[in-house]
Order: sequence, then C-alpha cells, then structure tokens
Amino acid sequence: MRKIQKITGRTILYIVLIVTSLIMFVPFYWAITSSIKMEQFIFASPPQWWPSPITFKNYLGMLQRVPGFPRYFLNSVLIAGAITLAHVFFDTLAAYAFAKLKFPGRDAIFFMMLLGLMIPFQVNMIPIYRILSSLKMVDTYAALIVPNMTSIFGIFLMRQFLISIPNDLLDAARIDGCDELGVFARVIFPLTLPGLATLIVFIFMNAWNDFLWPRIVLNSDKMLTLPVGLAQLQLKNTSNEAQIMAGTVLTMLPMILVYLFMQKQFIEGMTSGAVKG
Amino acid sequence: MTKKLAPIVALLLIVAMLAGCSGSAQPAATEAATTAAAGTEAAATTASGTTDTEPVTITIWDYYGEATPVKPLIEGFEAENPGIKVDLQSLDWNTTLEKLNVVLAGGDAPDLVTIDMTWLPRFAALGAFTDLSTYANGELNGVPLSEAYSEGAMKAMTYGNTLPTIMCDFDTYALYYRADLLEAKGLTVPTIWDELEATLSKLVEGDQYRYQFLADTFHGAQFIYQNGGSLLNDDNTKAVYNSPEAVAAIQFEKDLLDKGLAINWTADQGERIQGVKDGRIAMFSDGPYYMGIMKSSAPEMSGEWRVAIHPYQTEAGSYLGGTGLSIPVNAQHKDAAWKFIEYMMRTENQIELYKTAGAAPALTAALNSDEVNVEDPYFGNEKVFSVFLESMKTARPFPYVRSWSDIDASFVTALQNISLDQMSVKDALDASAAEADSFLSQQ
Amino acid sequence: MQQILKPVKRFFRKYGVAYAFIAVPVISMLLFIFIPMAISFYWSLCDFSGIQAPRFIGLDNYIKLFTVDKIFIQALKNTLLFVVLSMFIGPTLGLLTALMLNQKVRFQGLFRTAYFLPVMTSMVVVSTIWKMLYNQNGIFNTVLTNIGLSPVNWLSDPDMALISVVIASVWQGFGFETVIFLAALQSIPKELYEAADIDGANGINKFFSVTLPSLRSVITFVYIYGLIGSFQTFDQMYVMTKGGPVYRTTTIVLYLFDKFQDLRLGYASAIAYVLFFILVILSFIQWRLPGSKSTEA
Repeated sequence: MRKIQKITGRTILYIVLIVTSLIMFVPFYWAITSSIKMEQFIFASPPQWWPSPITFKNYLGMLQRVPGFPRYFLNSVLIAGAITLAHVFFDTLAAYAFAKLKFPGRDAIFFMMLLGLMIPFQVNMIPIYRILSSLKMVDTYAALIVPNMTSIFGIFLMRQFLISIPNDLLDAARIDGCDELGVFARVIFPLTLPGLATLIVFIFMNAWNDFLWPRIVLNSDKMLTLPVGLAQLQLKNTSNEAQIMAGTVLTMLPMILVYLFMQKQFIEGMTSGAVKG
Repeated sequence: MTKKLAPIVALLLIVAMLAGCSGSAQPAATEAATTAAAGTEAAATTASGTTDTEPVTITIWDYYGEATPVKPLIEGFEAENPGIKVDLQSLDWNTTLEKLNVVLAGGDAPDLVTIDMTWLPRFAALGAFTDLSTYANGELNGVPLSEAYSEGAMKAMTYGNTLPTIMCDFDTYALYYRADLLEAKGLTVPTIWDELEATLSKLVEGDQYRYQFLADTFHGAQFIYQNGGSLLNDDNTKAVYNSPEAVAAIQFEKDLLDKGLAINWTADQGERIQGVKDGRIAMFSDGPYYMGIMKSSAPEMSGEWRVAIHPYQTEAGSYLGGTGLSIPVNAQHKDAAWKFIEYMMRTENQIELYKTAGAAPALTAALNSDEVNVEDPYFGNEKVFSVFLESMKTARPFPYVRSWSDIDASFVTALQNISLDQMSVKDALDASAAEADSFLSQQ
Repeated sequence: MQQILKPVKRFFRKYGVAYAFIAVPVISMLLFIFIPMAISFYWSLCDFSGIQAPRFIGLDNYIKLFTVDKIFIQALKNTLLFVVLSMFIGPTLGLLTALMLNQKVRFQGLFRTAYFLPVMTSMVVVSTIWKMLYNQNGIFNTVLTNIGLSPVNWLSDPDMALISVVIASVWQGFGFETVIFLAALQSIPKELYEAADIDGANGINKFFSVTLPSLRSVITFVYIYGLIGSFQTFDQMYVMTKGGPVYRTTTIVLYLFDKFQDLRLGYASAIAYVLFFILVILSFIQWRLPGSKSTEA
C-alpha cells in the first residue's frame, strides 16, 4: 500500500515538474518560432504552433535594417568582457579585505557601500554623465567600463564565499613567507573559483544587457552595444513583429550559451555562497 | 606563476581599451596588448591629418532612421564646402529626445539636431536652441521666410520673437479611407461629421472596417478644432478644451466608439499598419509620412486607399507639426551648421526629402513643385499633396507654453478615461482643464 | 617630526594593504555613486531644468510630491502593489519548485534550466516577448477565443494591466529563488528530519518545524535583495505599457524618468530621494529583525 502511494506521489511530482517546465518554456518557444514565421502568421487565429513555411527572411531583413549588427555584437563582447574582468579582479580583492583582514572602519565602510544600491541609477545618470563629459570621455569604451569596474553586489557576493575559507590556510601561507598579494593569489584565488563562476555570469549578464546608460553616453553608430543597436529597430510604425522577435532571439543567444556552458560551476558556486551567510 | 600573471594581463587589457578606444578612432582590440605597452592612442585611420587649416566637423543627430533624407545630402554638401565635414549620427525618435535632455547643458551637444515640433515648447522656453533669426535675417536661401513657408508653418517655427528652428518637413492630418470599399457600397467620401457617421454605419461589418480612434492629443485636438473650439485661450493663460464646443466634439468621438463605428486603438492592438492590412481599420487620420509606410509595408493594397480633408463640423482643422532643424545653444560650430540648414532647405533638396523619406517638405515651393505634387498611383492617381497642403491652411501647432508636456499628459489621460468608460466626457475634460490651469499658473 | 611619522608609518604598515585592496572600489563608488548622489540631492532642493542654472527652493519639491501630486501617489500605490504581489508570489514559487526539485528527481538540470533560463534573459527582452504575447491578437487571446472564451485586455484594462506586468516579472524572476532555496534545502542535515520522525512528526509538521527555520537566513537574503530591486522596477513598464493606461502601471522610477524627460530634474531627484529613504528605512527594519544574519561576518 505504501509503495503504491509512493509511486503515485512520484508520478504526480514528475507531472507537475514537467507541466510547469513546459509552461516556462512557452514564451521562449513562441518568440523563437515567431522569428522564423512569415509575418502574416504571427497573429493568426487559430494560432500556428509550428511555423509553416519556415523562413529566415526576418533574420536577413533585420540584419539589413541594422547593418551595424556584427559591430554592435563585437562591442558588446569587448565591453562586457572587460567589465567582467575588472570585477573579477577588483571585487575579489576588496572582498578579501572585508572578509579576512581587520582594519579600522571596515564594517562602516561596507555598510556605506551597501547604501549605494538603494538609489535608482536614473538619478545618478546625469551627474555621472557630466563628470565624464568634463573628462572628455563621452562616446568611448571607457565611458561604459570605468564607472562599472566594481560593484558592491560583486564585493558582497565574493565576501560570502571568502568568509568560509579557514584562516589556518591563510596563516600557513603567511608563515611560508608570502605577502598579502601572494596569499591572495596562491590560496584565495583558486578556492574562490565556484564563486567566481557565479560572479562572472552575473556581471557579464548585467553588462551585456545594460541599455539605458550606453544609449545615453554613446553617440557614434560604431560604438553602440547590441541592445542599443537593436532598439533602433523599434522604428515608429514600421516595425515588423517577426523581425523584432528575430532581434530578440539574437540578443538572448549569447547569454543562453554562457549559461549552458557554465551551468555546473555556476549553480553550485552561487548556492554555496548564499547559504553560508 | 600563471595565476599571478592572469590578473595583470587582464588589467593591461582594460587599460589598453581605455586608452585606445573611442568613437573617433578605430579600435584595434587585437593589438590591445602591444598598444598598451606603447601607451599611445590607437592609430587613427586618417593618417594624413592636416594641422594647419583644420577642417571643421559638424555633428548632426538625425532621428529619421533608415529613411533618412539627411544622409544622401552629405556628399554634395561636403563637395561644395571643402572646409566642413559631416559626422552623422542616426538615432531614433526616443533616443534623440533622451539624449538631448542630457547634453543640452554640457559640452557634448551636437551642432545640428532634427527635432519634433512638439518638443519645441519646452526647449525653446529654456533657451536651449540658438535663435536662428540672426542667421536668417528674414530670408532663407534668398527668399523671404514668409514666402518660403505657409502661415501655419511660420507660426509653428516662431517662439516669442525668436526663431528656434527651421522646419524641414511638416505634418498635418488628413483622412485616409478605403475608397474601394466605399465604391463597392455606392458611398461617397464624407465631408462633415454627420456624413462621417452615416458612411461608417453602412461601411462597418462587425468589427471590420472601422474608424481608428486614438486617445492622443494630436487626434483629440483636431476634433475640437473642427467644432470651433481650442485647446488654450488666446493668451495661453487658461485651458478651454472643456468648453461646450470641445465637449461636444469629444462626445462625438465617444459616440462613434459606443456605436461600434470606431475602434479604440490602444497600444496592445499593435501597430496601425496591422489594422490597415487585416481590415480592422478602414478609416484613420494621420500625416503625409504615413503614405510612405503604407507603400513599403502594404504594397498589396495599392489603389484601395485615398486621402481627403478630414470631415469637420463648423470648420476644417488639424494639428500642425513636423520636423525642425535646430542648433543647440552650446553647439561648437554654429556657422557651419547653419550652412547645412540652408543646403538642406534648397528647393531641390526638399523635393529629395519627399523622395527619400516620404515626408512632406515644409518649403512651399517644393510642395507646389511638379515632382512632389504628382499623381500617386498607390492612392488611385490622386494628387495627394494638394490634400495635405489644403489641410495645412487650417492647421494649428500646439500652444507654445513651458508646461505643455504636463498639459498634454493630462489631456491624454482624460481621453483615456473617456474611452475606457472610467469618466464621462464632461467630467474628464473639466478635471483635466482644471489641472492644466494650475500648470499654467505655476509656470 | 619623526615622532609624528612613526605611528603613522606603523598604521600604514599594519593596514596599508587592506586599504590598498579596497582602494579602487571605494574611489570608484565615491566618484560614480556618492558624489552623484550628493549632486542630485542638492538638485532635489532646487528647481532645475538641466539647461539653466538650478534655483534653490528648499523642500518645495518634497512638499508638492506629498500634497498635490496625484500621479506620484498613484505611483506609490502601484509600486507598493507590485512589490507586495511579486515578493509574495515569486519566493513562494521559488520555494515550491525548490522543494519539488529536492525530491531527488532525475533530469534535475533540465528542470532547473527551465526555471532559471528566464532569469538569464534581460528584462527588456522578456518585456518585448510578453508584450507580443499580450497583444489583443496575441497568442493568449487567440487561445482564449478558440476555446470559446472572450479575450482579455491584458495591457489596456486599467485594472488588469499591472497584474499582467506582475505575471511577466514573476515568470522572469522566480527561478533565482528556486536555485537559492534548492541549495539551502540540500544543506539541511538529515539528522534533523530523522529526529522529527522519531518524535512522530508527519510531513507538514516537519516542514514547519525543520525546513522553514533552517531556511530563515536564506529567506532574509532573498527578501532584502528582492525588496530593493522590486521597488526600483522600471524596464517592464517602460517597454510594455509606458506607465499606462491612465497611470495604473506607473512606478516610482518610471515617473521620475518621465520627469527627467520633461526637463524637471529637481523634481525628479526629489522623487528618487523619497524612494531612497523608503528603502533605507525598510533595510534598517529588516536589519533589526531577529534572525537576520545575512550581512554579518
């Protein structure tokens, strides 16, 4: 009797999981299939669940209307990559200091930095723009990278991972004659790899998807990042839903690939850090 | 050892990018590491840069998008003006407005920017644009301004006694209608409101072939004008869009909705062109630029549509807007920018504007020319621009007050409340007019 | 001279490295967060168009916000409703899915991906897709009409619009909580459950006596970030509704962005600071709650 209960219990569980997962996929499914549909079938009734005929015209049309696409893609890769590298370096270093080193004002400074999260970016946007403008940095890669080289989010995240590293290891390295930078490079860095994977994915994701700031601070067409370049597609009254979906799919693709690639390290790393808070 | 190198290399890469990459030079990402060591700016592609007589480069922000009339003119302009180079930045409507808000005070303003005439009140009130009357001296390319432009256009370009913009395309509304459907049912195009309602009752079939109702000021205002009303009083101190004439006008629109003769085109209905193609819309009101959109997105409907003066009650009336060329007050190369304005406003280039952007040139000479005022096969060989020109004679720009965007938002909210049955016409307009009065008094 | 320098030198030898490590983030935040914050706080006390010079008017902006600005009050209501709905539904869904995944199922990675993939997608992309789904003739309404029901005005009905946005937001976000809760669940020691079994507890008892208490610090973590983030929600409304219809989906940040567009920078900054103070107070309250160990070393 108990065994039957157990089997039905498991079956129900799997059914719920499968059904909910499918529901989660529906919007993605719809976006992807719409992007390879002919435009007149997008709002067809009854709905066309499988596109017929399949066409890649939308991708071609979109690339035609946004000729700078490959260039935007490259810009996004370079900028997101640089930002991520900067975060990896600066955030981890600072996190180590906050987690393992004792110095006056440590907790006060940390709390102050947390406050920075609570002001919406739109408000700081204009003053930051003016600062950069006076430094003649508008319309440069630097304008996107320099204000984004570190964040309290990244520092907080890495700090959680670092706290759990036993101090004995650090002391052992110090006794062996390493200076702090050496301790950091030899002991800390390797042990933070799971957390680092997490940080990398999050930071890359945010940098890649950033829209408002690049739009304001970049002027020349050749400097644009992908989300900004694609937003131009939303031209008043001439937009084609199928083409917009094609653009959307193309924007999503890099992030999905990054996720699938880093899935193992990422999920494990992220969860171990959050739990040991 | 490699673990220690990695962060250092990463840092170098970042420094290289910062040093070497900007909008004006060609970035060389793969050479980043070596240029970092040299510590110099990445090589610019213009190797032979003259340092004595620097060519002036003007920056133009253009919101026309892919159908831009500006880009084709650059080559000819630069050929005629060897000391001036043009750096064109193609943005879209939203982006242009957002960026203007940020740069108008600082040092990165473009030398020339295309503006929507509805932006003029707020920018002109703040003195953000150069007064072009000192450059024009009453003339444009040798022709007195009053001859170059219609009266409505002159009024739209003037703020106080300054000239903050030179209009390059105009926007005024006419009625677009499915002539083929009317003909099939033996109907004629309506010219007054009663006829509009009667024609629609015979035209509409279920939820097909309706009049497009839009809850925005452009469309709401024109109904008010057509019943003899106004938005603000003559000296712009009080809102009068809740006068009996105005209320009756909006009520007429509401009645069309209630009787199923008009379709409330909210944002989630999609783009108007969808409704045009699938037949939900058989009549709508918009400006000349929409002709271009119909031709490119609905070529299969060629011959089915026509344009006509929008039916009115007491007098014809429409919104007047368009695109203007303005020079921000903190632009660096105003003289050169003015030269471009003059070049772009030459009659032949205004005619080109129609050909490339499908928009209506603002210059009267261009509008009356044979190339523009042609029979349009898409619209049944009608001389479409005569209709828009006629409409422009009775078209009015929005009032030029600093708080216009607040008043506009309030009026739109009223229209939305009315169309969503949240408030009656009179209540909604009264409430909104009261708000508008308070905005006006606080300026 | 030497006397003064000696303790200074000692100070730096002891703490210099630590300060060096945090130097870049601190300077960066000073330059790009705190100085701009100070500037915009000053602007919030001024009438400022961004073009002409700011004119000091004291607390007038703040007073106006709370006394005559009906749209701001509506924005507060909308934001509050959004926060309550999404912070209630999101973490709950996250916990439920985590509990399910914790039952040693096969293909765990696949299910996890299904819940987490939306999190990886930018809110702008998500909003663009959902806007199409919510179209009057989009797939949702088409399905409804094809099974005989009437279509819904997802984004144009004033009472429905915010709910529609919440649905899209929750779809995008709850996977984040799923993954966090799942890891937390997997680190609860088995012995705790075994002890409860011995005491004769059934499934529901065990949930409330073992599971929930063990999750407390994770739940706090989820709520702090969730609260700060959802109060600042902007992207979805910007893409899907632009704050309409009739301001029913206007959030605080969307409203302040509008004010920027109108060149009323002083007023917009005041709105931002009202939000800031709300968040600081909320965080402070949360900090003081028992069991919140999320930020202590």
